Amino acid sequence: MSALATKRAVLAPGARFPDVALRDHAGNERWLSELVVGDPVVLQFYRGFWCPKEQAFLRRLVRLQDEAEVAYCRFISVSVDEPRVAAAFRAGLGARWTFLCDPDRVVLERLGLRETTDTVNDPYVPAVFTLFPDLEIHRAYDGYWYWGRPTDEELRQDMRAISRRIRPDWSAPTP
Amino acid sequence: MSGASSWCWFAHVEEPPDGATAAARVRDRDGHPAGALAAWVQRAKPLRDARRVDVRAIDPAGAPATISLVLPPPGVRLPFDDLAVQQARRDALAAPPFDVLSTLLRDASHFEGAVTVARGANVRRLAEDPFARIFPALVLEVEAGLFGRMPAPAGPTIERYGSAQPWPWDRFPTAA
Repeated sequence: MSALATKRAVLAPGARFPDVALRDHAGNERWLSELVVGDPVVLQFYRGFWCPKEQAFLRRLVRLQDEAEVAYCRFISVSVDEPRVAAAFRAGLGARWTFLCDPDRVVLERLGLRETTDTVNDPYVPAVFTLFPDLEIHRAYDGYWYWGRPTDEELRQDMRAISRRIRPDWSAPTP
Repeated sequence: MSGASSWCWFAHVEEPPDGATAAARVRDRDGHPAGALAAWVQRAKPLRDARRVDVRAIDPAGAPATISLVLPPPGVRLPFDDLAVQQARRDALAAPPFDVLSTLLRDASHFEGAVTVARGANVRRLAEDPFARIFPALVLEVEAGLFGRMPAPAGPTIERYGSAQPWPWDRFPTAA
């Protein structure tokens, strides 16, 4: 197994996702744990604004945010775009969650999420992780092929499973 | 400033009050004195008109700032879950972040205003304060010693983490 494959292999359900720091779309440094705090998370790595598959997937996430905004969960999107590019893409999409930026590809290397087949843009390989608040990975999706990405329903199921485990009052209090 | 509580008391007063945790004089955009703003980190309500504000907004060592202070007209009450207030929260998340943003509360169910703090190039964006579409906004120059800088909300949550917590405070008590 290559070093790259080994790195990616540890990003599997049950493992703890590394707590990394990157600049957000406004240029401020943000730690993953600081963004997650106490909620379930959809952590998405995308190639860049230019990719039609990412445009299609992110438009789906934007529709899903109308549920997420009242469901106490968080979305985080990560790419190699500069903050100004990420901010423009986010604004164009109408996304209301945090976009993180890794133009120097430092975290990309640490996580082993380089898309080796794209030597022009050198982007993240598309991947989605659903996380518990302590960054434990609930499920990992390899989005290299579009159908490898989670459906809206799978994300709902993941958010439900994580919420059920972390919310002590998941069962409504009764008299 | 942060601590065990998610909020502290906040009020627009005539003079910086004794006993406040932080206070600063304010001027309107024409430079005329416009009283003072004060915050109290304490359980007891210090003034009748005091409102709850996200405690992360307050920093006694904070730099001067320009703010948009939205307050309901006297006698006007609007539910916090009113569609207009929901949309203002969405719009605030969609826009580039300010140094501080907090809604203001007096109870668990009503929107009692908002404060948005800007510095530098962001000051001009205060004219786009989404909460100013709900109630009139006072744009004020605030001296040093009151407002800090808080992390931008992660999004996309527009709900409060408990009805007593000013949005965008971002965690339930068990996650603090």
